[in-house]
Amino acid sequence: MAGLRVHSGARRPPGPDPVPLRALPSALPTDAELVAGSVTDPAQFTALFDRHATAVHRYLGRRVGDLADDLLSETFLIAFRRRAAYPPQHVEVRPWLLGIATHVVQGHERTERRRYRTLAKAAGQLAEHAADPADTADRLDAQALRGPLATALAGLKPRDRDALLLLAWGDLSYEEIATVLDVPVGTVRSRLHRARRQTRAALGDVSPLGDTSEETR
Amino acid sequence: MNELTALREAGPEAPALSPDARSAARAALLSEIDGPARRRRPSRRTTLRLGAAGVAVAAAWSAAVVIAAPDDPGSPASSVTLVDFEMPTFPLTLDPVPDGLRPAFDGAGDGATIASYDAPGGEDGFTLYVAGDEPELGDRDVTATEDVSVDGEDAELVRYSETWCTGDAPGEDCHRRTSTSLTWERSDDQWVTIDAYGRYGTTTRVLQIAGSLVDRPQPATLDVGLAPAGWSVRGFKMGRVLTLVNDAYEQQEVTVHVPLPEDVIPADEVRSSIMGPIGPQLDVTVHGRPAQLVPVDTGYLDQRGWYLQAQFPDGTTFVLQAPGAFTQQQVLEFAEQVTHNP
Repeated sequence: MAGLRVHSGARRPPGPDPVPLRALPSALPTDAELVAGSVTDPAQFTALFDRHATAVHRYLGRRVGDLADDLLSETFLIAFRRRAAYPPQHVEVRPWLLGIATHVVQGHERTERRRYRTLAKAAGQLAEHAADPADTADRLDAQALRGPLATALAGLKPRDRDALLLLAWGDLSYEEIATVLDVPVGTVRSRLHRARRQTRAALGDVSPLGDTSEETR
Repeated sequence: MNELTALREAGPEAPALSPDARSAARAALLSEIDGPARRRRPSRRTTLRLGAAGVAVAAAWSAAVVIAAPDDPGSPASSVTLVDFEMPTFPLTLDPVPDGLRPAFDGAGDGATIASYDAPGGEDGFTLYVAGDEPELGDRDVTATEDVSVDGEDAELVRYSETWCTGDAPGEDCHRRTSTSLTWERSDDQWVTIDAYGRYGTTTRVLQIAGSLVDRPQPATLDVGLAPAGWSVRGFKMGRVLTLVNDAYEQQEVTVHVPLPEDVIPADEVRSSIMGPIGPQLDVTVHGRPAQLVPVDTGYLDQRGWYLQAQFPDGTTFVLQAPGAFTQQQVLEFAEQVTHNP
């Protein structure tokens, strides 16, 4: 059997229409297109859940623990209800969702703070036990930081903590943080400056921090 | 490793998203997408819960769809232990205080952030704001700005006008009011704004006020000497309202408020004038004066509570609303320690 040959500019032979090609990944709608499309076709919004639920839950879970299961739901319900107001020219969908998640967490600030205190206490109790000789130096370093980090997070002002955790755990840029928190970038800088300074101070002697350079994304 | 890397690598970890939790959240979203017609109307009890929390979470579980509470509420305290309590303070004092004005404070658990000094009659006064960040100018009609100096620090003086309403209903008894605002970073991370109107709104008076600020904390107008162990301040407003909250169950609160004279209920009409009385009006004594205590159904998550109308030694009436976790004796002990310094 002879191999197929492709002729540039060849006309399609007469006959039935060809079966549509299956869409390639690059042909999938973007997040912004899904949000825009969901205004008239709400079902499109479920694709955003499928894409981002894990990331949003992880961000929430680091902040509020098991309560993240409920807040994940709440975040997407709020996002869905506000989809018509989504500002694609200002921020992408993942930061937008993390911003909504942050506002949702604000309603549970005490729960969040209590979690950090509990973690700090648990880390302190763990540190009282002798270290396993099999533990690597990196693991021991991380272990030593857990308690002071949790203590530091519990002691931050809520809005400073929001900015810090959107940067550290959400990987948002300064501009994205400013957009989702609806504050000027200068305010984000001052909040981050204060939060990072307090976190460094709380880590104190246990910290192996070497590079404390400011990230100015 | 900087602190960001430390947070990423050694900060609190998230629990895994379980298939069940993911399915439930997705089903809740699908239910919302399908529209309200398929959702069951939430019960009264749940509606109250949602209203109080200010947020709503829809959770769908297979065929049944219900509106669920927004968080893991734990359970309300069934009893409390009263302990000594120190109210948060406002960090600054005016020395001297112009015309002997008395402040009313607004704030939350980490301290008061607003001190309002209003002259009788409401035509003259000023408000101090303290914040950790540079404040943003709201929606104001700015007519002039001027760069000035306060204790050697650069400051911005802004004159603006805004619509000011004093009526009971929104948009009622409104007029244009001209004010002067002065903002500067008084110390590291302490931004102060003075918002002055009437005779205090001149540049000279505002700068005088700024120059008289000293680092001396002021106690709140409304103070409690006791609080349930494990509870904290949720907020206080206008020197008239103070709310404490159970840190382990945020829907459980105790509130003290000083009603306006026209809102004080006559002593013999307390029970018939309040919502949800479930017992007789009890005649008790607080601060050596007659007071009225009524057990009530708060109408909220089946919580019972207490409604106490009492008076301070100067005769000013206050109202204490406490959950049923308080015993009758604890309500009275708590009330005896409430003070008011208007």
